[in-house]
Amino acid sequence: MIKQFRDLISYRELLFSLTKKELKVKYRGSFLGFFWSLLNPVLIMLVYSFVFSIVLRQGIKEFEVFLLCALLPFNFFSNSVNYGAGSIISNANLVKKIYFPKEIIPLSIVLSNLINFLLELLILFVVLSIFRYKFYTYIYLLPVIIIVQVFFVSGISLLVSSLNVLFRDLQHLVSILMMVWFFGTPIIYPLSMVPERFQFIMQINPMAVFATFYRNIFYYVKYPEGFQWPSLWIILICLGITFGVFFLGYFVFKKIEPRFAEEV
Amino acid sequence: MAKNQKNKQNSNSAVEVQNVTKNYIIRHQKSPSLKDRLLKGRDTFEEFLAVDDVSFAVEHSETFGIIGSNGSGKSTLLKLIAKVLRPTSGEVIVNGTVSALLELGAGFHQDLTGRENIYLNASILGMKKKEINKKFNDIVEFSELARFIDMPVKSYSSGMYMRLGFSIAVNVNPDILLVDEVLAVGDQAFQSKCYKVIYDFVRRGKTIIIVSHDLETISDLCKRVIFLKNGKIELMGDSIQVVSKYRAHVEELERVRIAEQQKAERKKIFKSIIDSKRKVVDAEEIEKLSRIDGGVFENRFGSGDAEITKIELLDPSGGILDFCKFGDDVQVAFDVKFNNIVENPIFGIRITDHRNNIIYGTNNRLHNVKTGVYKPGDVLKVIFRQKINLIGGTYYVSPSVGNKDTKTYATGSLI
Repeated sequence: MIKQFRDLISYRELLFSLTKKELKVKYRGSFLGFFWSLLNPVLIMLVYSFVFSIVLRQGIKEFEVFLLCALLPFNFFSNSVNYGAGSIISNANLVKKIYFPKEIIPLSIVLSNLINFLLELLILFVVLSIFRYKFYTYIYLLPVIIIVQVFFVSGISLLVSSLNVLFRDLQHLVSILMMVWFFGTPIIYPLSMVPERFQFIMQINPMAVFATFYRNIFYYVKYPEGFQWPSLWIILICLGITFGVFFLGYFVFKKIEPRFAEEV
Repeated sequence: MAKNQKNKQNSNSAVEVQNVTKNYIIRHQKSPSLKDRLLKGRDTFEEFLAVDDVSFAVEHSETFGIIGSNGSGKSTLLKLIAKVLRPTSGEVIVNGTVSALLELGAGFHQDLTGRENIYLNASILGMKKKEINKKFNDIVEFSELARFIDMPVKSYSSGMYMRLGFSIAVNVNPDILLVDEVLAVGDQAFQSKCYKVIYDFVRRGKTIIIVSHDLETISDLCKRVIFLKNGKIELMGDSIQVVSKYRAHVEELERVRIAEQQKAERKKIFKSIIDSKRKVVDAEEIEKLSRIDGGVFENRFGSGDAEITKIELLDPSGGILDFCKFGDDVQVAFDVKFNNIVENPIFGIRITDHRNNIIYGTNNRLHNVKTGVYKPGDVLKVIFRQKINLIGGTYYVSPSVGNKDTKTYATGSLI
């Protein structure tokens, strides 16, 4: 596996140019370009804000910010996995004709979504400053959380993209799964609202732990009554699952990779 | 570009293929889905042996050819060397960086411009950004697409597309170049440029493995050639020998095919005659039947006063040739049988290309050779000595017998 990682590193330039391609192709020909990718979270934000603060009157202060700081990281995850699932098949012309480590294809999609996510965060920072959030208090934690999340997202992407070559139904299953995962993660509700007997879902779901971290850093700095770091125990479980998923994904991907050229 | 995958201490070969077998599994169900897996268990499948226990080694700086008819496993073998496919069993050892011209423009993205695609494609082929910057102008210049380089490639014609692909691939500058039938790109001028590049690679001591149906190029470029047949090496060795064996094999196949076709055709005509219960066979059918008669001789016509019974291509010492090279001295010999009294007939040959353009013609009258008077039943052998100054290709030689008022007694042709 170390040899494979080294191989991957020697192909890093290809990873970057494929990432650039993903970003370019996505916005080529559209007038608003990158801003389209912002429109999606903004629309979701408006809809949920209407439902939760006006219709249901949840009483969560500044629900828009509350939602966005967990929604953006989740979108990074779900977009990467949704696009990544069919990536090997849609790049059949490359897979069949040219030798290179194929994990670069799903990883370039993760990377391009990461760049999108970072740009969205910049805009979130502007919003936070306007509403006088002291989001910079714990900002030093942000890179660590993002890096850990990138490993988790990559692991799931590698797993799904390679298995999808053998089982094409997976692609359709993934989008449903992502919706379930969305509701199983504290994005539209606070962690504290989850009943005791379902708390274990929040503990074994790394996305829930990431969401809690992001929300602490961005939102609860202004409303400290909800501020609570996850216990060390939960953090360790989260790290274990994250890296477990990453290595499993990489292993499965490499196991199936030799069959790509024939199966796509 | 595959980095040095394995380095054997004692191996000096650029590419070593050891007992490589590739078995394709052909599923009867085209798209595998979860439902089928769950309901039916395993799909039914067939195995197809594309490459069967093939071993050979290509030395550094060698130009190596792979020939064989369609489906003989040439492309699969090249993909195995490029590491796009993995062998079912056996091992491929490659010492050096590889660039594979398996398909030009594989990985071009339609929405990106030519410029962006150069960067993308070159990095897929293993080039670093710095190298691409350095080579960028060469690539554009070679492709002759400077005017269109900032247009998305979806607006390119297929020729432009291929030219850009070729220009990138040859500028990657690998140690080992794999070429799969991609030299026929663009117009005559661009094609000759492509060949020049390949010859340049040869001169610079690069290792080249080339798959082609263009036998002239193969025998010209390569020292050694393998001839694949049904996934097995039929013959390996000196290119001239292997190519001529392969030619003979193809001709044999072609002869069998034509014979089969003619048999079927004749059957059809006879059947239609029998079915219609006609007593008189019309002229068109007779002509058709006569046209499909006799393998090598085609397009015979004439008055029948003389008949050409045999035509051969011979080397100066009288041995029969299947093909000849530029500058060879050959003899065209044909036998004439006379069925009537003919005075001072003119014997001639005519060489035409595959589009029926007359390339060359001569006859004895042009050389003031008198031929005399012949009676019915006389048989004569006529020999023309000829230097072949033709570029590579397939030509037809037609002998003819006639007299000065250009009445043709007989003519025929030899491929």
